[in-house]
Amino acid sequence: MDLHQLAAGLAMGLGGIGPGIGLGIGFSKAMEAIGRNPEASGTIFVPYILGLALTEAIGIYALVVSLIILFAS
Amino acid sequence: MVHVEIKAEELFSIGPLIVTNSMVGAVLASVVLLLIARWFTRRSGIVPSRGQSAIELPIEFLAGVVRGTGGKRWRQFAPLILGIFLFVLTANWLSLLPGVGTIGFAEEVEGKQIIVPFVRAGAADLNFTLGLALISFVTFIAFGLRANGVRGYLKELLIAEPAYMTPLLTPIHLISELSRVISLSMRLFGNVFAGEVLLATMLALTTATVFILPLAFVIPGVFIGLELLFGLVQALVFALLTMTYITLAIAEHREHESADDHSGEAPETGTAPAHGAA
Repeated sequence: MDLHQLAAGLAMGLGGIGPGIGLGIGFSKAMEAIGRNPEASGTIFVPYILGLALTEAIGIYALVVSLIILFAS
Repeated sequence: MVHVEIKAEELFSIGPLIVTNSMVGAVLASVVLLLIARWFTRRSGIVPSRGQSAIELPIEFLAGVVRGTGGKRWRQFAPLILGIFLFVLTANWLSLLPGVGTIGFAEEVEGKQIIVPFVRAGAADLNFTLGLALISFVTFIAFGLRANGVRGYLKELLIAEPAYMTPLLTPIHLISELSRVISLSMRLFGNVFAGEVLLATMLALTTATVFILPLAFVIPGVFIGLELLFGLVQALVFALLTMTYITLAIAEHREHESADDHSGEAPETGTAPAHGAA
């Protein structure tokens, strides 16, 4: 047990907060939009997936950093 | 517990060219795609058989999306988008087959016995994803250059709208262009690599307790289903982001010459007022 494992855990845990909140907001807004206008679900889908991908990228950076801390240092 | 290697391991080398197990995975994916394409172009009919419809379904779906959002020149880059999508999808799904990442040489490193697998997921190597991201980068820059001309493109890139903001905004512009490559490659690599680690961890955790609870037969299966979904979503995201970047590079040009015809461009209407306000 050394500080590397603590650092990796902290990097992933803290790095997951922001994307988690962001994904929740994006998803809830998309569902709201579909609920208001069900016919528009086809048009909403592609921007929704792109937004999710861009938000999730932040979490993936945290993941890559923590994996690098764990296995490559 | 679980042995994880961030780099793809070297299998053998042909002269200066080192063949890694991720390269084997990527080449396998393209061979599978080529075989499918050859098989189905030979025996395709006007009335599609069941297998033919299954192959045509993703192509028709994505071509529909590209036609809907890609603007007038969607035909020029639709093959690239489809190619990226099918290649990444095949590479991701091939890596979930049994034997990938588990069958290989036994090697001893630092006193521990590890397995160097023959085949590893193509996208679990940063070189693969970085290569694809660079293809996407060169393509959207080339489309921007062709739509705007060299001078127009450089002006768009280097000179901000109020001229006195240029020293502040130009570095931001340059960094955001470059960060597209980094974020495209890191996203795919991170997802696929984390998926591999997740599957290995789940299998190790559940096999450790297999004599008490037979969860080892259930839990990894659930996660493999999840990985099927993630592989599809990541392939879709990579292709759609490439398409968006190309469309943006072309659309900057249309902004100042066709301010009068807003009629037939449904996806553009959302961005046009924002540009005008800025």
